[in-house]
Amino acid sequence: MDEFQEILQDFLVESFELVEKLDEDLVELENTPEDLELLNGIFRVAHTVKGASSFLNFDILTHLTHHMEDVLNKARHGELLITPDIMDVVLESIDLMKTLLNTIRDTSSDAGIDVAACVAKLDKISGGTGDVKTPEVKAPETPGVPPVEVETATENAEEEPDYDNMDPDELEAEIEKLLKQRQEEDRLKREAKIAAGEAVLVAPDAETDDENETENSNTPVVTPASSPTPVTSNVTTPVPVQQAVAPKVEKVQESKGDAKAAAPTKRTPAAVEQTIRVDVKRLDHLMNLIGELVLAKNRLIKINDDVEERYEGEEFLEELNQVVSIVSLVTTDLQIAVMKTRMLPIGKVFNKFPRMIRDLTRELNKKIELEISGEDTELDKSIVEEIGDPLVHIIRNSCDHGIETPDLRIASGKPETGTITLKAYNEGNQIVIQIDDDGKGLDADMLKDKAMEKGLITEKEADSMSEKEAFLLIMKPGFSTAASVTNVSGRGVGMDVVKTNIDKVNGIIDVESKKGEGTSMKLKIPLTLAIIQALLVGVQEEYYAIPLASVLETVRISRDEIYTVEGRSVMRLRDDVLSLVHIGDIFEVERILDASEHAYVVVLGLGTSKLGLIVDTLVGQEEIVIKSLGDYLKGIEGIAGATIRGDGGVTLIVDVVALMEMAKNVKAMAMIDGSAGADATQEKTQASDYTIMIVDDSKTDRMIMRKALEPLGVSLIEAIDGQEALSILKQGDHSFDCMLIDIEMPRMDGYTLATEIKKYNKYKNLPLIAVTSRTGKSDRMRGVESGMVEYITKPYSTDYLSSVVQRNVNFKSEFL
Amino acid sequence: MGDKLKQIINQQGAQQNTETLDQSDDIVQLVGFIIGEEEYAVPILAIQEIIKPFTWTRVPQVPPYVLGVFNLRGSVIPLIDLRVKFGLQLKNHNEETRFFVLKQDDEVAGFVIDKLTAAIRIKKENIGPAPDTLSGNDTMIDGVGKQEDRIITILKVDKLLERDF
Repeated sequence: MDEFQEILQDFLVESFELVEKLDEDLVELENTPEDLELLNGIFRVAHTVKGASSFLNFDILTHLTHHMEDVLNKARHGELLITPDIMDVVLESIDLMKTLLNTIRDTSSDAGIDVAACVAKLDKISGGTGDVKTPEVKAPETPGVPPVEVETATENAEEEPDYDNMDPDELEAEIEKLLKQRQEEDRLKREAKIAAGEAVLVAPDAETDDENETENSNTPVVTPASSPTPVTSNVTTPVPVQQAVAPKVEKVQESKGDAKAAAPTKRTPAAVEQTIRVDVKRLDHLMNLIGELVLAKNRLIKINDDVEERYEGEEFLEELNQVVSIVSLVTTDLQIAVMKTRMLPIGKVFNKFPRMIRDLTRELNKKIELEISGEDTELDKSIVEEIGDPLVHIIRNSCDHGIETPDLRIASGKPETGTITLKAYNEGNQIVIQIDDDGKGLDADMLKDKAMEKGLITEKEADSMSEKEAFLLIMKPGFSTAASVTNVSGRGVGMDVVKTNIDKVNGIIDVESKKGEGTSMKLKIPLTLAIIQALLVGVQEEYYAIPLASVLETVRISRDEIYTVEGRSVMRLRDDVLSLVHIGDIFEVERILDASEHAYVVVLGLGTSKLGLIVDTLVGQEEIVIKSLGDYLKGIEGIAGATIRGDGGVTLIVDVVALMEMAKNVKAMAMIDGSAGADATQEKTQASDYTIMIVDDSKTDRMIMRKALEPLGVSLIEAIDGQEALSILKQGDHSFDCMLIDIEMPRMDGYTLATEIKKYNKYKNLPLIAVTSRTGKSDRMRGVESGMVEYITKPYSTDYLSSVVQRNVNFKSEFL
Repeated sequence: MGDKLKQIINQQGAQQNTETLDQSDDIVQLVGFIIGEEEYAVPILAIQEIIKPFTWTRVPQVPPYVLGVFNLRGSVIPLIDLRVKFGLQLKNHNEETRFFVLKQDDEVAGFVIDKLTAAIRIKKENIGPAPDTLSGNDTMIDGVGKQEDRIITILKVDKLLERDF
């Protein structure tokens, strides 16, 4: 059983691949019906699938492919010219084949799908050619099939469905008649052929054919059913009988020719590509590992920088540098190489469009030509899977709404045949897929009216809308410009699917259009999803990563450049007015640090909409690996995922699409700093309620200060340097009334500590007292600049220190 | 010499035998920890690891008990404070604070606990059901384990790892 499953898997993979190519080939064949190479290729596909499926006992599939093969074989031998009508049937049968293959994939069996109708049509085509042959036989001296006669043949083929309407008796008579006719023809043909020394005709597998036929004819044909028999059985039965007789007779004399015709088809083309099939899961795993490696590399670079700073001029540094740069180089190359293994040519998606256009042109009675270029452009597998649907919708839309009917086109002086161009190319770190049509173009005013009518936008919005924004209206859910709902489009779904899917892959849609000249749509899609370039920004003490693809520019502004209009913050950016939102308001960041005079605005662009995101600091550009937040935290609005930074910390990645949506609901910026808080100084009821921190790296100095303050009965906390002091402060276990700070300390000196502390709103009013042996004027100045209120120079008397502290903490004298 | 060796081997073998006896089916192995005043426990097999606290990143728009996410050797894992989840005040982390990393199927999350107690072996018969008022599908309590002098609340791992917001 396992072995069977294995074979089945191989069969399915192979078949799907073959069928995919088939679509494209067939449409090409319709344009160049004489291309024997192409025909042979197509025939081989049908044959291969048939052979394999019969081996695996998929009778229905075998049955279908067998009849396809019949038709194609005739075409291959020039006995049948592929006309659009015939092609319709062939394509239908291929669709059926796909359905069958899907069913097999899902259920391991091909039961439950009715192929009878299609098989009947196929048979009619291959049967109908019998009629085509007639003139040839009568006049064997005119080789080749004159096109006119083929026309009549196809007409015959079209007329045949009349069988459906005949009653059983008439049908029987008709069959009889046809059979006689056929036999007569065959006889003539054979004679003609033998005379001409030709020995090719008939499907190579006449034997299986016979088996099928006998099975079929055993059942319904004998009982022509006086009760209303289903149409299908009426159709299937008569046709096989026609054939059943014909090939049998031919087989006897032409088996030799058969063998010759069949044999070469089994040979596969000589040029085999050197490839290995790899499970996608393995590639995904590999990609994950590379992600880890990239993170480790980032970390290594960071450590290298740190080491460089600390051990400047050391000999081993150069060696370390070399190793780090080699590792980083190789990692980057490795990343690209692995990314490439996941790349698929976009042609895989493009393949299905010639067929689609063909079907659409027939359905809509328009003349449309599709030009494809850049199908070798490669994209990540996951993206290729995502963009298939959007492209289908866009192209359908172009066919239905874009390209006009032939008479309209002629009337407006355009060529009768409309052209849709499908282009893919690389542009920097993006792939651009461009879909152009030379149809009637989009009418911005009409779009606005329609959108207002449907209540998608207000009149006010419509007035302020630029042309480009109006074009993007077609992407809104529930919007359709088709006056009437057609089979093809106009049901109001479709273009919004495009937007959703493109958003999903961090892509951007750009629509350009000129009324009367056509529309051009550009989908800009990043090369890969897993690793992206991001801009790291800081707000208060947090960091966020913004995908660089959506960042248009960054500007530094001062607070007074921000205006408030209708409760929204805006700023003037060159000639435009840009609406602003503070990242802290969106992500509920607690404002513990004081707002500085300047801020940075990251201008985000998505399609034509823009938004200015105010951040406190810009950290820089970094290559980040996107990690999911897991099931527990998925779906948090505004967060697309997380990444691990060089220092091992986690940084959240901003979901720009969601952020722009959220920004609409954030009204005025909460620019108020909430400085009122934190000052909840409790009433001091005893001396030990006062808490004072002593920051000094010298144990002796700390001891001296302690001795000076202990008599007061206040609580004392010690820290050995700026860093420790800061972390004690941040922990918030104590609320300090005063800090005594030494200036010269390792890790973080007193000035820096004071500056850091003063960044916090909470500690704005916390008295900082410098206790130092630095007596220079400039030192005192620096102290004041960094926010110190007092400056005590060593040595000092304990009384002096005590009094300065008492003054600064408003020490109540009754505690003394 | 050979005799001694044999003795030692025999001893070890005997020890192993008693251990295997202990591991029979009616023994449940748990890891106990303290949140606030109470002692809780989870099955030892659900614990991926127990680590000392380190920095995490806040995540917006989540309930207060979700502290954020942290980096566990390259994976981004949510961090949940069980104190807050159980209705207690948030407390600063100290020397005894630990992150419990629990795993079930593909779900992984870190939980902040106040203090680790011990690995506990407890007989199944000593585990009673959750009190009636707390039983049902919504409760996080799997059962109550009784040991000589204490009562341990055994938590459901799947409930802990379930997103409830």
